[in-house]
Amino acid sequence: MPPEAAIAPQPRPAATDDQVVIETRNLSKIYRDFWGRQKVRALKSLDLQVRRGEIFGLLGPNGSGKTTTIKLLLGLLFPTGGEALIFGKPATEVSKNERIGYLPEESYLYKFLNAEETLDFYGRLFNMPASVRKQRTEALIDRVGLKWAKRRQLKEYSKGMTRRIGLAQALINEPELIVLDEPTSGLDPIGTREMKDLILKLRDEGKTVLMCSHLLADVQDVCDRIAILHQGELKELGRVDSLLKVRDVTEIRTTALSDEAKAEIDAVVRRHNGQVLHVDNPTTTLEELFLSIVRDSEARPGRRANEKP
Amino acid sequence: MVLETDPLPLSQWLSGALPTWLFVVGAVAFGWLLLGFLISTLKNGPGKAGDNIFRLLSGAVTDLAHISPRRVYALARLAVKESSRKRVFAGLGVYLVILAFAIWFLDPRTNDPVPLYLSFVLTATTYLILIMSLFLSAFSLPADIKSHTIYTIVTKPVRPSEIVLGRIIGFSVVCTAMLAVMGFFSYVFVVRGLSHTHELALSNLKAVKVTAEPGDGGEELTGFTEAAHGHRHEVVIGPDGTGRTDVAQGHWHEITSSGEGANRRFTIGEPQGQFHARVPTYGKLSFKDRAGQPTTKGINVGNEWTYRSYIDGGTRASATWKFEGLNEADYPDGLPLNMTIRVFRSHKGDIEKTVLGSYILRNPATGRTSEAANFNAKEYAIDEELVPLRLKDANGNPISLFGDLVANGELEVELFCLAPGQYFGMARPDMYLLPHEGSFVANLVKGYVSIWLEMLLITAFGVMWSTFLNGAVAMLATFATLVTGFYVLFLQQLGRDEVVGGGPTEAIFRLAGQTSITVELDETLTTGVIKGIDDVVRIGLRAASNLVPNFSEIAGTTYDPRAFNIPMGDAGFVADGFDIPPELLIQQMIATACFLVPIFLIGFLCLKMREVAQ
Repeated sequence: MPPEAAIAPQPRPAATDDQVVIETRNLSKIYRDFWGRQKVRALKSLDLQVRRGEIFGLLGPNGSGKTTTIKLLLGLLFPTGGEALIFGKPATEVSKNERIGYLPEESYLYKFLNAEETLDFYGRLFNMPASVRKQRTEALIDRVGLKWAKRRQLKEYSKGMTRRIGLAQALINEPELIVLDEPTSGLDPIGTREMKDLILKLRDEGKTVLMCSHLLADVQDVCDRIAILHQGELKELGRVDSLLKVRDVTEIRTTALSDEAKAEIDAVVRRHNGQVLHVDNPTTTLEELFLSIVRDSEARPGRRANEKP
Repeated sequence: MVLETDPLPLSQWLSGALPTWLFVVGAVAFGWLLLGFLISTLKNGPGKAGDNIFRLLSGAVTDLAHISPRRVYALARLAVKESSRKRVFAGLGVYLVILAFAIWFLDPRTNDPVPLYLSFVLTATTYLILIMSLFLSAFSLPADIKSHTIYTIVTKPVRPSEIVLGRIIGFSVVCTAMLAVMGFFSYVFVVRGLSHTHELALSNLKAVKVTAEPGDGGEELTGFTEAAHGHRHEVVIGPDGTGRTDVAQGHWHEITSSGEGANRRFTIGEPQGQFHARVPTYGKLSFKDRAGQPTTKGINVGNEWTYRSYIDGGTRASATWKFEGLNEADYPDGLPLNMTIRVFRSHKGDIEKTVLGSYILRNPATGRTSEAANFNAKEYAIDEELVPLRLKDANGNPISLFGDLVANGELEVELFCLAPGQYFGMARPDMYLLPHEGSFVANLVKGYVSIWLEMLLITAFGVMWSTFLNGAVAMLATFATLVTGFYVLFLQQLGRDEVVGGGPTEAIFRLAGQTSITVELDETLTTGVIKGIDDVVRIGLRAASNLVPNFSEIAGTTYDPRAFNIPMGDAGFVADGFDIPPELLIQQMIATACFLVPIFLIGFLCLKMREVAQ
């Protein structure tokens, strides 16, 4: 069996309905001006599924449609065509929000409230009793490391602190689905690491995470699957590890070899009693993949990436 | 203060007002749905349009059925916190500055300063609180949408109905708190502003009835106080050393004294009886001409405002008020008869000299009359007469007021002007009986309740407009609503074709042709078309006059008491010292609720239909 065959991705079993948390069917969005004339076709016939318990990343350059997709999924925008379903309900259905947590890109919070008041306010919006609100508020403030600043108004917070309290408000209802818009934006390296650890922990707790980010390394670190959008179209969709494989190159890892062996490695590995430990496709970085798709998309608009002409 | 139209009893008002309201709300809802259906049909075809309308309505019903008080409370609380942390209450400082400057230009030396002070504080409060509620309500939601903070609200299980309701309640609470503080400041300002006393020295007094020297006790002393606030009082001090002043500028003072002989000192207390909440009993007014024959109206002396009719002096012309429902138990001390008679002078004469009038009381059943009682018309103040229980008839024989002149609770009072060449002007409310007075403070509170109702409406309109307009445009729309509200009575009159000069199109035609409004237009094809257009415009005006709350001042105006959109302004009652009829206030509360419900529904539906992300 050739090495490629050994590492070929196994077909994923079809997701059952209760495993699908987010589903878009032919989802389209056209922005129009006051007179109803088309301004921008922001999203074109998007079909995707996000399954329970995975971390799903939306990638794309500015104007690719990923923010539009998130707004459509949250019911902030209404689709021009197709439909978006969350937990099997239309995205415009308010009751779905009981199970969703949302961290917007800029942590759009009320700056005149302090951290405690912020979490208490959002807790009230979930109809939580006072005792539950108090307990969750304390726990979340502790979890995001803002105990020392919980009485300060948010207008005095740094961007990183605002992201943390934004994340806390997104978790106040212990959501099943968490939508994170640029979750590491504004965080320092330590904060970024903590945020990524937290995302992974949330996944381990069985929660589903949908995130979009420009920071490709972050996406590569945490996402199970990604969708790459460009000019409103879905260009790539799949598992991160699968997408990052370079299939026309073979990588051989060996133990330490002599200089002579290195010079004639292809022919003499076996002859010099060396042991082949691993044969696989080497991976590129997500950044490389992303940029190649963008280049390809611009060269061949309207086609999926790597699609044969 | 004149209230030409008595409020109807509540049940009678409801029977007329509620069907009108239901019709208006139904018509607006139908028109709105029809328009939505047509627009949606143009975009998506009739099938999809019908489906959209059905989804909207069913979704709206679900939203309304699932309104959570806790979420509404949270959103209202947020609005209060937002207002307080953005220092909205600094508006109270503005109010205090206005009051501080008002001390300079409100003159307490005028004939009757109480209405002046009260009308000032009530007007200032009304405008300031309405402007504040306008700004608060119109800018908040658009600011949330612009700053995207709304994203974190609508991605929670919050319904548009709760957002609209929370905003309306929150900003209403803020404005209510401010209104309460302003009301307290106003009360203190008026009471302290009109507070004064007078100096009274022994040398200003002289003894009457006895020959003893002033100040040695045991005699009655009379004299005048020193002037303060532009007036002075005549005083009468009894042998016990206490007394009271006469009534000047609508008040009097208690007098006490201490010491003996030349060391005797007099102390004059705070003004008394200057604040009123009169509860008048009105009669029906009819006129007789100079020949003594019944006539529908008096003389028009040329005033553009034809509210009052005039009777000419020195003739048999008279005005008769017929009072009903008089009960002897209500008038143990006599019949308090108050008049606000206007005088039209056809020759100047001595302008300081009052014009003499007289009145007689007549039994409507027997025709028996009392002896004529003379009075001096005060023109711009209230003539307060007390008809004694025992009096004389026209022949000088003693009669009993309730025994001989009141028949089945009915009594007629006929009024004459005795000065030839002068005229008395009156309308129905210019003579009334005063069986008792209400509490001034309670009446002031009622006045502030009417301002509160107006504030609620402006807040609700501000929030409603802001659900689909940006802040500046929502503010302008709310301001336009407020201004239109002040002219609803005029709109109603235009809609009923009761305005001299015709409708809007005719008015433009007359302006262009420089035609007087009192001249009938020739019946030509052009004028026929113009009047036809105005007939259509009037339908729109009648509709518009029911869509905008009536912020008109009720005092001094005529209104349709059956309409649900009754005037909301009660400040004139308080300023002029008349009790706000409780049934009127209740009707105003119901009318406010009648507006609030559809305003809330429109705001909720507009927010539900819009995309909050941009």
